[in-house]
Amino acid sequence: MGKKILIVDDATFMRTMVKDILVPKGYEIAGEATNGNEAMQKYEELKPDLVTMDITMKEKDGLEAARDILLKYPDARIIMVTALGQEKMLVDSIKLGVKDFVVKPFEPERIISAVEKALA
Amino acid sequence: MKINAKFVNPFIDAGINVVKQIAGIDVRRGHLSYKGKPEPSYGVSIIIGVYGYLTGQVVYSMKTEVADKLVDKMLGGSKSPQERKILFVDTIGELANMITGNATGILSAKKDLELKITTPAIATGDNINISLVAQPTLVLGLYTQYGPIEISVALEEKDMLSEVGGMPGTLREV
Repeated sequence: MGKKILIVDDATFMRTMVKDILVPKGYEIAGEATNGNEAMQKYEELKPDLVTMDITMKEKDGLEAARDILLKYPDARIIMVTALGQEKMLVDSIKLGVKDFVVKPFEPERIISAVEKALA
Repeated sequence: MKINAKFVNPFIDAGINVVKQIAGIDVRRGHLSYKGKPEPSYGVSIIIGVYGYLTGQVVYSMKTEVADKLVDKMLGGSKSPQERKILFVDTIGELANMITGNATGILSAKKDLELKITTPAIATGDNINISLVAQPTLVLGLYTQYGPIEISVALEEKDMLSEVGGMPGTLREV
């Protein structure tokens, strides 16, 4: 059984893209979420091995969701996957304890490498 | 508040790079003009709010057939016509999200300040009227093989020195 991934992004297009890249590599998509609140609910329900997390989402953004998840589950592995390629956001994310910060649009190899390193 | 032509290149560069990477088509820089508000010129509009040290809106606009082609390229050949129809709004919104996000990355590169963006609001239809707040707007044109993409940038930078100087001892939210 492959490692379980929770994909969090409000765009179906992006969730599908990440899924289409990771599934052929042997990963199992445990679930999907479309906002930060749903991300926490799904994390608690599914206990995935890794989360890919968008930032700009309704209700609760990805940085807040990552903060909440890591506060409750310090061993959680989260990769930010976002269009907001700003240095301050990258630094803030790393300070929170996320494993990587991938800027959209990305090549498939970038996300595969980020997932592999985070799960190592 | 001031509008600044330095906003132009980040959106042009982001637009060209993102469309090339995500849709696999070449884009060239087009016209530059000015208008009083960021109202869209074509039938498909995507509106994204920006806030932080810059505030305002970015409005992407294109003809329906241009949007259809871009979505086709982004989705590839794996989706049925019905699936494409369902995914149309989501996919074109994500394109605008990526261009805006990348542009804010360039705009924030030399600053220790943050820019945030809203989730995209998409409107489609040739006979709709979208009313937006009047704000000085730079209109950037990009040209693809399918037709033009218009990017209306209505962003203003807060004049922090004059605001802070006017009221000593008051904290101002950036």
